[in-house]
Amino acid sequence: MFLTDEEKRMAEGEYGYGPQIGMKILMAVGKVYEAEKLIPIKHAHVAGTGFKTFGEVGVAWLEDLVAKGAKVRIPTTLNCIGVDRATDLGFPKEKFDWQMRIDKAYEDMGCTSLNTCTPYWCGYVPRLGESVSWSESSAVVYCNSVLGARDNREGAQSSFAAGLTGRTPAYGLHLPENRRGQVLIKIIDQPKGYSEFSAVGCYVGKTIIDKIPVFENLPVPTNEELSTLGAAMACTGGVAMFHAIGYTPEAPTKEAAFGSNTYETIEVTRKEIQEGFQVATRSTTREVDLVTLGCPQLTIQQIKVISEKLSGKKVKDGVTLWLQTNAFVKGMSKQLGYSDIIEKAGGILTQDACTCLSYPELAGYKTMACNSTKVSFYTPGSNGLNILCGSTDMCIEAALTGTFPEEWKQDEDF
Amino acid sequence: MSKIIKCRTISEGYGEGEAIVTDMAFGFNHAVDFETGRIKEPGHTLEGEFIKGKVFIFPKAKGSTGGSCYVYQLGLAPGSPAAIINLNTETIVAVGAILSGLPVVDRLEEDLFSNIETGDYVKVDATNGTVEIFKKGEKH
Repeated sequence: MFLTDEEKRMAEGEYGYGPQIGMKILMAVGKVYEAEKLIPIKHAHVAGTGFKTFGEVGVAWLEDLVAKGAKVRIPTTLNCIGVDRATDLGFPKEKFDWQMRIDKAYEDMGCTSLNTCTPYWCGYVPRLGESVSWSESSAVVYCNSVLGARDNREGAQSSFAAGLTGRTPAYGLHLPENRRGQVLIKIIDQPKGYSEFSAVGCYVGKTIIDKIPVFENLPVPTNEELSTLGAAMACTGGVAMFHAIGYTPEAPTKEAAFGSNTYETIEVTRKEIQEGFQVATRSTTREVDLVTLGCPQLTIQQIKVISEKLSGKKVKDGVTLWLQTNAFVKGMSKQLGYSDIIEKAGGILTQDACTCLSYPELAGYKTMACNSTKVSFYTPGSNGLNILCGSTDMCIEAALTGTFPEEWKQDEDF
Repeated sequence: MSKIIKCRTISEGYGEGEAIVTDMAFGFNHAVDFETGRIKEPGHTLEGEFIKGKVFIFPKAKGSTGGSCYVYQLGLAPGSPAAIINLNTETIVAVGAILSGLPVVDRLEEDLFSNIETGDYVKVDATNGTVEIFKKGEKH
């Protein structure tokens, strides 16, 4: 791999330990992908920030870097974590303390604890064609697909290495020739509402694994719907980018989306959407004690709609409702009065925390409902709870009644 | 007679053990028990199987990018596999494995899945880029 003089000096330790270990990691990734050079970048976003994921060995690794004086060289933001920094969600204090050591170590190295999986909705919006180094698989997909910026599915430590150096290896989706579609997803029955986009993503990711899908005949999507579609495909599969003809910037037409690539076609009907919801649903009961909405984290628009649905109602005794977002959106929810409505209804507006990275199993919960196929797919492994997955309206009904409805309901306005 | 196949080094080191093979992509995040090496991904062909101390063979990775931290933690935990062999390794596995010293190789010079099946005994010399295969029942 070609290195500039500055990069060679970083690799040799002239800029200190941080850039040196950063270069070591990037050169290893560059070797795997036979990258010819490094690209200068202006933003890194680091996942793997949960204590559950990184563990005590991860804390030790980070604190060692701090002790050796490592500092990031470009703006570097942090993903969501396993706890809420503002509200006690009932997790053991020990987990909270370990988690805070991770955040503190990154902060000591100059990172910004956004604690969000949606940096693109919190002020970090790369331009069309701009290269960045983000981990958080759902953000990678959004970055490539919806923004038309360029990123690979970086591991947490390789995106942090990018922060330490201001570089990322030139491979994969940084190269325009690798960004064309590889499989046509022909939408026969259109998904209706946010959660059905998640179900489509679950099915497509599981089916195509890591190809670049091109969606034809999607209904006009919201950004939230495109976000959850990508999140699901990056979870059951390893999708890093999709095109939606007519909606995403590199796919004004089918021809533009595919370029000269040949492709096979996969059809999505009601059957595949329903299958998406069922892929990981595992529960011996429909009686729930936890309902969680917000994977990826909720936007202010989504919280507005949920607060309208909860207005004047009451979450059933013995059931907890988590509405998960970040401190940005939570602040605005407070200003606009949505938080009040939610609190009066007995819901909890959380910040920072991600359901799968957090500890509902240690807070005594047994059966959870969600509207995100990503949450349902990870829950058996991450939390071990019974898990039910359906539309947003079904989840809200479950929160209000304690029972996940038998009858399938599509979302009307979410 | 064992068979030796050359391969590409991703993460240096040496590991040997019984092979556990799947042709399904695998995502590490939340999917392996750190103590026992039990696979927890719902619906995966290896769900409920154990990779602890074994040579874990899957075509490629998928899933969340926090997986690189998960691989790092697993690589230093009791439930760690002895080594990993892929068709094509990608960043998430490569980074977590390199930092935790878990041996990983990919791109065998012969077909991976017709040469190794579950139950074979495999010696992975990731540093020198070779895989030695002893078929089931063969002395190793």
